[in-house]
Amino acid sequence: MKQQTIDELIVELREELIKQLNLEDTLPEGFDENTPLFGEGLGLDSIDSLELVVLLDRNYGIKLKDPKEGRHVFQSIRTMAEYIAKNRPQV
Amino acid sequence: MGEKVEYFINGAGIISPQKTFDSNVFLTDVAQYDKNVLTCITPDFKAYINPIQMRRLSRMLRIGLSAATICLRDSKVFMPDGIVTATGYGFLDETAKFLGEVLKQNEKQLTPTYFMQSTSNALAGLVALTIKCMGYNNTFASKGYAFENALTDVMMQLNENASANFLVGAYDEAAEVQYKASMRVEHFKKECINNLSLFETPTKGSIQGEGSAFFMLTRKQSVSTWCGLLDMHVVYKPEGNELNDALKTFLSKNHIQPKDIDLIVSGASGDIDHDAILDSVIQSSLHTTFQTRFKHLSGEYCTATAFALWLGASMLKNQTVPEVVKVKKTQLPERLKNILVLNHYMGKSFTFILLTGLD
Amino acid sequence: MSHRVFITGFGIITSIGKNAEENFQSLVKGNYGFGPLEVLETVHRNSLSACEVKFADKELYEQAGVDAKQGFTRTSVLGLISLQEAINDAGLTHEEVKTSGLVSATTTGGIREFEKFYYELMDPELQGDFVRFTDTATSGEHCERLADYVGIKKYLGTISTACSSSANALMHGAQLIKNNKLDRVICGGAEALSKFTVNGFNALMILDKDHCRPFDSSRSGLNLGEGACYLVLESEAEVNRKKRKPIAELKGYGNANDAFHQTASSPDGAGAYSAMKLALSSARLNPDEVDYVNAHGTATENNDLSEGLGMKRVFGNTIPYFSSTKPYTGHTLAAAGSVEAAYCLMAIKHQMIWPNLNYKHMMPELGIEPITTLKQKIDLKNVLSNSFGFGGNTSSLLLASV
Repeated sequence: MKQQTIDELIVELREELIKQLNLEDTLPEGFDENTPLFGEGLGLDSIDSLELVVLLDRNYGIKLKDPKEGRHVFQSIRTMAEYIAKNRPQV
Repeated sequence: MGEKVEYFINGAGIISPQKTFDSNVFLTDVAQYDKNVLTCITPDFKAYINPIQMRRLSRMLRIGLSAATICLRDSKVFMPDGIVTATGYGFLDETAKFLGEVLKQNEKQLTPTYFMQSTSNALAGLVALTIKCMGYNNTFASKGYAFENALTDVMMQLNENASANFLVGAYDEAAEVQYKASMRVEHFKKECINNLSLFETPTKGSIQGEGSAFFMLTRKQSVSTWCGLLDMHVVYKPEGNELNDALKTFLSKNHIQPKDIDLIVSGASGDIDHDAILDSVIQSSLHTTFQTRFKHLSGEYCTATAFALWLGASMLKNQTVPEVVKVKKTQLPERLKNILVLNHYMGKSFTFILLTGLD
Repeated sequence: MSHRVFITGFGIITSIGKNAEENFQSLVKGNYGFGPLEVLETVHRNSLSACEVKFADKELYEQAGVDAKQGFTRTSVLGLISLQEAINDAGLTHEEVKTSGLVSATTTGGIREFEKFYYELMDPELQGDFVRFTDTATSGEHCERLADYVGIKKYLGTISTACSSSANALMHGAQLIKNNKLDRVICGGAEALSKFTVNGFNALMILDKDHCRPFDSSRSGLNLGEGACYLVLESEAEVNRKKRKPIAELKGYGNANDAFHQTASSPDGAGAYSAMKLALSSARLNPDEVDYVNAHGTATENNDLSEGLGMKRVFGNTIPYFSSTKPYTGHTLAAAGSVEAAYCLMAIKHQMIWPNLNYKHMMPELGIEPITTLKQKIDLKNVLSNSFGFGGNTSSLLLASV
């Protein structure tokens, strides 16, 4: 697994999120890596967070055991990128 | 003649392999298909569903929610007292997608979206969620008579609450897995045909169809009323003369003579054996009645009775009979009054519905 | 519409017993069905446990007296075993069976067989024994299979409202009788475990790998189960004609929608509240006349809170005895409503309340406690049974002693 930088991860995650969660038509103005994914920001829900859990596993080999852990990891694209950089299996 | 009208259809919405979502046209510009699978002609979903909600909805959920919304708008009842849906195969495409992933990925790394959307009650739940309807909610998944169960259920709810409005609908999708699995048992024709020549191919099997239709059922006539619904009956796997007898009982129970029926909506499916059963019933007591049919337009599916109900109700409402549905043309009265829907599913279950026009 | 509807017989098979007597004994002794998956073929055998009926399909065919070649799926053979028991229990003659209706519930029907032979079924050129499972991805298949076997033609219906399905089947049956459409309806549900369901719930991350703990503050998900249960409903006129004492009366029912989320219950228990309220009003009872509530109590974080708040809203400060029997049987999905209705019948008949196993710590947000040990010699007149499901479906049945 190649080890991207945080910035590279941010670009990659943005693409993946839009694709996996069908966000093309619903991105709010000014959406960026700091926009909150849940609540007021992007408005994702609990099912999206399950999709994100699988995305972490499939794309980065990271397993979240407890869905509640996701609340911290999935705050924004940046927090996701940072979490991935810190927790992905080292090659 | 005639019974007191107990139930009224006060609105409808339908999305089908014809351009039925547009109430300004009534089967005039007929869609043709050159393979044996007919799929829905869909409207711009954005007219019915907001983008945030649409994001994760499957094709059939979008179709179903749009059909329900068209019906709500048509009836001007925006908060029904209950919602009842029907389906034969449920959301089989989503079922197959999730099952495919389960098998392909050896039960690992699965996301729940397809699974959630595969449950048969997903549409009734979605409609309730969308309009925040906390009333009665039910879903029948009974093959060829699921929609009939749903109508029975709604009529019983209306018997308990005479002022209520119930949204009752059906959906089934032309799923590839059903087509493939059913080919072996001759549910669908082996030879490829054009849908408009369905009744000129005297072979086994039909063509696969799909659709979603919703109706607003009440016990009060209003300015939105399309027609009255007198009664409905289902006969499961009839033997001998059972079907003929059941029809006679059904008509006499409703104080209707064969001569009172202006028009039949026949659910002939193009399957030579199954249609023969229906034809023999029509021949024995209704051989002089004007006849229409529709499965060359909708294809065959478990809840096709909902298409038949829409067709019958539309003819009563519009007082026109589209050219493309006519089979046997006999003299029609100046004003269409009583319509008998006679449907069958795979020659196994048979449905009678009596509709009546209102002056 | 004043007709009363009575329950005159039932049959049941779950992970805690293959008939009513075995289920009763397990309830009394606190024997539960939770354990490693041994019959279902799945990669999760070592990681996920559930409440399986510990008989191979072949053994179930023998119990039901059918041949494997007849093409019964595991769901339909479980159904047949309990359907036959129900018919015998009610003492129905062949003629009476023929004039009955059958309203059966399932969520996935025969998906277990469909998934097993998926690749074969998808190849139209292939022929073989698997062809008997062609239509098993439909919910309605099992109902026709059962009806054809016992000779029911008058009315067939399959209900699929997720985990509330068989409660709705009982409600539909009762209304068919009240509307004079039928004198007798056999209602219930059947559900076999499948890879499809196990993986679906696993993907939703609501399965507890350990034994589930309903209404406990440490609860962390549900256990899946399998089984089937059918109840015979008869009109008052039929009961009088036959002069046979019914087991109980199906006195009320409520069906509502939570309209909150596709798979989650509302945080305030609005749907649960409506269903229970409607059941009470249709039975013409006040909340304080309810003696026991068999809760839906799946042990997911979400359900138990929502249901608990719903109960508090209905009953105020005097919550009746309540317990969830899910730790015994797991969540049998579409069959759960009829399975738990049967447990309520046993409770009424034997004057007992089944304990909510595995409960230790009160949920601070609720402040209510279920029954945790077997309660005996309790006079139960009116019992509520709750069944809630995905899609916001919430239903509640009121069973009364006669």
